[in-house]
Amino acid sequence: MFELFIAMVKEEWRMHSTMFGSLSFALFPVMIFGIAFMGAFLLPLVRTTLPAGNLSIIIHSSFLLLGFMVGAFGLLGNEVMNRRFGQASLLAYSARSLPLSEAHIFATFVVKDVVYYFFLWVFPFGLGYLIASPFIGATLASALLLLLTLTLAFLYGLCTVFFLSALYARSRSLLFGAMILLGAAWGSVVLFTGINPAHFFPPILLYAAFSWTSLAVSVIVLSILFALSVLLFSPEQTGTTKEFRDAFAPLHQKFAFLPDPPLAAKDMIDLYRSGSAIGQTLFSFLIPLAVIWFFLSFLGPYLPPHGLIFLFAIVTGVIASTMYTWVTMFDSFGPYACLPVAVSRLISGKITTFSLLQVVPVLFIAAVAFLAGEAANIIPAVVLCLAVSFYAAGVMVWLTGLSPNVLVYDVKVLFVYLVLIGIVLTIFSALAFADPLYALASAVLFLPAGYFVRMGKARWDAVDPSGF
Amino acid sequence: MTTILEAQGLCKNYGDVAAVDAVSLSVQEGALFGLLGPNGSGKTTMIKMLTGQVRPTGGSATVLGLDVTRDPVEVRNRVGIIPEQETPPSFLTSMEYLRFVGAVRKIPDLESKADWWFDFLEFRDKRDVLCKDLSRGTRQKLMFAQAFIHEPALALIDEPLINFDPIMQDVVKEYLAGYVKNGRTIFLSTHILEVAEEICSEFAILHKGKLLHTGPVAELTGRGEHLPQFFLSLVRKGKHV
Repeated sequence: MFELFIAMVKEEWRMHSTMFGSLSFALFPVMIFGIAFMGAFLLPLVRTTLPAGNLSIIIHSSFLLLGFMVGAFGLLGNEVMNRRFGQASLLAYSARSLPLSEAHIFATFVVKDVVYYFFLWVFPFGLGYLIASPFIGATLASALLLLLTLTLAFLYGLCTVFFLSALYARSRSLLFGAMILLGAAWGSVVLFTGINPAHFFPPILLYAAFSWTSLAVSVIVLSILFALSVLLFSPEQTGTTKEFRDAFAPLHQKFAFLPDPPLAAKDMIDLYRSGSAIGQTLFSFLIPLAVIWFFLSFLGPYLPPHGLIFLFAIVTGVIASTMYTWVTMFDSFGPYACLPVAVSRLISGKITTFSLLQVVPVLFIAAVAFLAGEAANIIPAVVLCLAVSFYAAGVMVWLTGLSPNVLVYDVKVLFVYLVLIGIVLTIFSALAFADPLYALASAVLFLPAGYFVRMGKARWDAVDPSGF
Repeated sequence: MTTILEAQGLCKNYGDVAAVDAVSLSVQEGALFGLLGPNGSGKTTMIKMLTGQVRPTGGSATVLGLDVTRDPVEVRNRVGIIPEQETPPSFLTSMEYLRFVGAVRKIPDLESKADWWFDFLEFRDKRDVLCKDLSRGTRQKLMFAQAFIHEPALALIDEPLINFDPIMQDVVKEYLAGYVKNGRTIFLSTHILEVAEEICSEFAILHKGKLLHTGPVAELTGRGEHLPQFFLSLVRKGKHV
């Protein structure tokens, strides 16, 4: 077990460092450390407007979201397992020829992900705060406690997605049954106690008042989720060949109004048959955002009237922009290399599919606005969400071309991305907070979005495409 | 004779490594040209440059009169390509993939052409199976079909026989020989020397990115030599250069 674990960690490191260069990738945790260290000095300022408890909720929810995203990216149903394990010939796949059970390999894979991403994301953040703590008057104990609870929040996100995706891979009705049960429990708490269930998130409880009992409860719940994920894990059955009726011809006809019908039809088939259309929508979009809504709602009293829905629209827009990664994840340029298709044409095709998928955030943000009693602000909220999503996707296209997944850990790329997104989010959240109708001004973001896509096409046409 | 493909001092460097080093060659219309070389000799890089998939770091090349650096997409539109690795899209079925290729290439009467290929390469039973579930041999059949379905004037094919059983190899060899008889041209990269000797009209030997030899196969066999022995002696000598 240990040898396999070490080999998997080495493999993950080599995969990333090969993609970005050892130095560039090694700088990634240094950047996270720097952000936490410098951010810590802003805390006294932030605390003047936001109570410490609420701030802790925001930070913990961010790490919970991070756990969701890392988990959803790594494991998502059988098809992504196949993509992750199969095509790259990773150890998790090749170890199948060794006398080890699938559950054993899967457990090692999950432990590797936990350890690897802990050192990549969580530890540098906690360490940054820890080192800054003497300068901002925080005690060493509170800094260590934060490191512990952030780790737990991250693990909750990760293990929840592993658990749900294991359910999904085994049976979709099992997953939907579990989700209805969880939703009902969540709704009952809100309905009968009037308390936001996010208050009961174990890492937040633990951070608010440390006790060994709370810690034990946190760890036990996590262990149960982990054990259930491993027990429920059902690997893809190799050797089964299911036949499919031709879906390309009818879709190609239906998409005749789009700029590139064959590429759009292929993308839609990829999304549907890979399980991503449902899987990604659930695990990378709806579930994380639904959970985040409850955490963000703590900020309601500290925001201007109607501010919460616009803050949520911005967060939804940023998450919706990651749909560009959904439509690129199954494609390397390889299959197109023997066809008369330029990288720029492929990017246009992906943007078309991305645009079709934006119906999901539009419906989602409209539903949330309606349920939150903000029906009057549905249109500005939807425009803000869409504008942010297209703008962020445009930046992604310019910076990463067809490989947004693999370039996210390139420090230089990530830094430029964060700056370009950060400036825009600050400006348009301020405008929306000042007056809900000002959120409509965000429509102007479609212009730089288009510009970034155009620059991205020219830039990535000029280099040898990856996938060779 | 019309020159279909011409490379002048073609180079490709990956960092300090010269994958292809100043290669010049030309291929005439109607030839079945074999590019031979050991593993890592630069054959695949050469095909990728000639089809506009990667950019040369030096030299120039024209294919069907088009500059591969200036018109890479048009080059790929006019030729057929079988890549080194058989990589049809995972989530399309065989038939859907051929439809996709047909839609991108705007091939008329795709249905009947696809049907002909399913029968000719004997994989009709895999027509509705996802590409990711196909065996390597069947994937290779599919890649072979997509390269020739639009009957290009020139096909650049990288190790097209490697995953086929001996019976299918025979079928494909016969097809390739017939294809050039109709005035079309094939640029074949392989390290199966016996096949090259059997079907190629001309050949070139690439070793460590450099061109060691180019000429007609008949000239060699006319001297009573065989391609495998000639290749081995040249490459072994080349190693000591």
